[in-house]
Formats: sequence, structure tokens, C-alpha cells
Amino acid sequence: MAQAESSAATPFETDFWKDAKLRKMWDDIVPGEPRKTLPFKLTQEAIALYCRAVGETNPLYLDEAAAKAGPYGGLVAPPAIHILLMFACTPADDWMRSPGTVNAGQSWSYNIPARPGDTITLQARALDKFIKRERLFVVHDNVFFNQHGDVICSGRGQTIRPM
Amino acid sequence: MTLANFDALKAGDTIDGPAFAVSRESIRLFCDASLDYNPLHLDDDYMKGDFGKTNFGGIIMHGMNNFGLISRMLTDWALPAGAIHRRLETRWLKPVKPGDVIRPAGTIKAKQTTAKSRWVLVDVAVQNQRGETVAAGEAMLEFPASAKAS
Repeated sequence: MAQAESSAATPFETDFWKDAKLRKMWDDIVPGEPRKTLPFKLTQEAIALYCRAVGETNPLYLDEAAAKAGPYGGLVAPPAIHILLMFACTPADDWMRSPGTVNAGQSWSYNIPARPGDTITLQARALDKFIKRERLFVVHDNVFFNQHGDVICSGRGQTIRPM
Repeated sequence: MTLANFDALKAGDTIDGPAFAVSRESIRLFCDASLDYNPLHLDDDYMKGDFGKTNFGGIIMHGMNNFGLISRMLTDWALPAGAIHRRLETRWLKPVKPGDVIRPAGTIKAKQTTAKSRWVLVDVAVQNQRGETVAAGEAMLEFPASAKAS
């Protein structure tokens, strides 16, 4: 791929304070404006780590031989792998990483599973923003695709933005 | 727990998932797995401060950890019957902290047959060890008509 992948050379910055000043505040977020995103190569290691964190043990995600004989003909990622993909497919200055961002709710629809080796892309934007009980909300919508252009899943979330 | 058999399912039937012990380590592991290193989940000093009118008093679990546990419950129940986890909507009601033990559960709400498939709606919730509901929502599962729901 011509475009740099987020899993490549630069390691993931785990200090979310570091680029805090580069990120858009609630005031700067324009509903409808696309967010910058990065393609991400999903590895079996990343899937296994996610599975460990939530206690997923289904062989479809972890056991290649069993998965091959299963309904998808090979290993797949659990549907909720978008939890990882949201951060893997966005750059360090993305406002989803602003310290103090509080998740208020999410809804996701699942089409086909992501698979290890897939190069995942994200189309994302803020769709709306509003103020409720003195809190600053943003509504965001997100669609993840595989390298064939197939929709993996789509979702809408609400976060309360730091003041 | 109710079997995932479309014809036999009825409103009020229940499903559940295993208990999940929340610790500083489980939250840190979720940071690594999700790449969500928001200081809400890492930094005790930061969490001593106020968030508007809210003070959490210490680090809190990722809301999406609840989401992952509900999703695990649904797929573990549905996949062996050839059913597919198609949608999950959740909202977070209370923070979850290290030392809490949480558990997801679901209650069948409705069944729907459409032109091309069959669907089950499930009310889902996660409760802590005090019986408080920390997350709630609704899920939709597809039971393809061709699948053998044995």
C-alpha cells in the first residue's frame, strides 16, 4: 500500500496527553466533516490479545484448524473488534483520544467478520453535536471496510467531550 | 439458559454470560487490547479531579469492556446454532471500578420474521456484584432460515 499503515514503523503513542493540544475541542468539531483515518493491518496477535482481555475463547477466533472447519472457512475476529479498530485506524491527533473523553453509548451493526491479515479502513465523522445538562456531546458515525471494499461493521457513538 | 432455537424461543427466555472480575490488571490489559489509553483508565491522580459534577474517585473500567462482554455472551449463545450477532446498542449507567465483579445477561424480547430472514431481539444488561445495572441495551440476532438450529 502506498499509504502508511498505522501498525507500521511508528509505535502507538500510549501517552494520550502528548498530542492533546493538537486535538479538536468540542468547539472546533464540525459535524459532517470527515475525520483523518489510517489503514490498519489486523493481525492474529491483535485478535488474540483482544480475546484475552474480554475472555473470548471461541475457537473461531483462536484455533486455525477448528476455524477452517467452521462457518467462515478460516479464522475471524470477534464482532466487537471495532473497539480496537477505532483507535488503530485513527491518528494520534484524533479527538477520540482527548483525555477525559467519556463514552456515553454506542450502537453497532455487523455485516461480515474481519479476518486476520485484513487491511482495515475507516470512514468516520462527527455527525452532530449538542449540549445537554451542561455537558458537551458529539455524535460520531463510523464504517469499517476490508481491503475488498466490503463493509465489516458500522456504528454510531456518543461521547461527552472534555471542557 | 435458553437454547438458541428460533422456533422454540419466546419472550422472557433468558441467556447469560460468565462473571468477569475487574481489576487494575484487567483494565490495563483492555488498554493494550483496545489501544484506548485514556487516563480515565490509567491515571489515579487525574481521576482525583472532578468531571463537571462527577467525581469518580479513581480509575474506571472502559465502557466498551461491558460492550465486549455482552457481545461475547451473544456470540457464544448464537454461533453454535448458526445464528449471527447483527446489532448491539448499549449505554453506560454506572462506572465500573477495580474490585467489581460484573456479569452480562439477556432476556428475549421479541421475534420477527422478514421477507428473507428471521430475527430475535434481546434486552441486554450488565450487573455488578451489588445487583446494580451498570450497562443496558438491546441486541439483534439473525437466525437464517436455512440454518439448522438444532
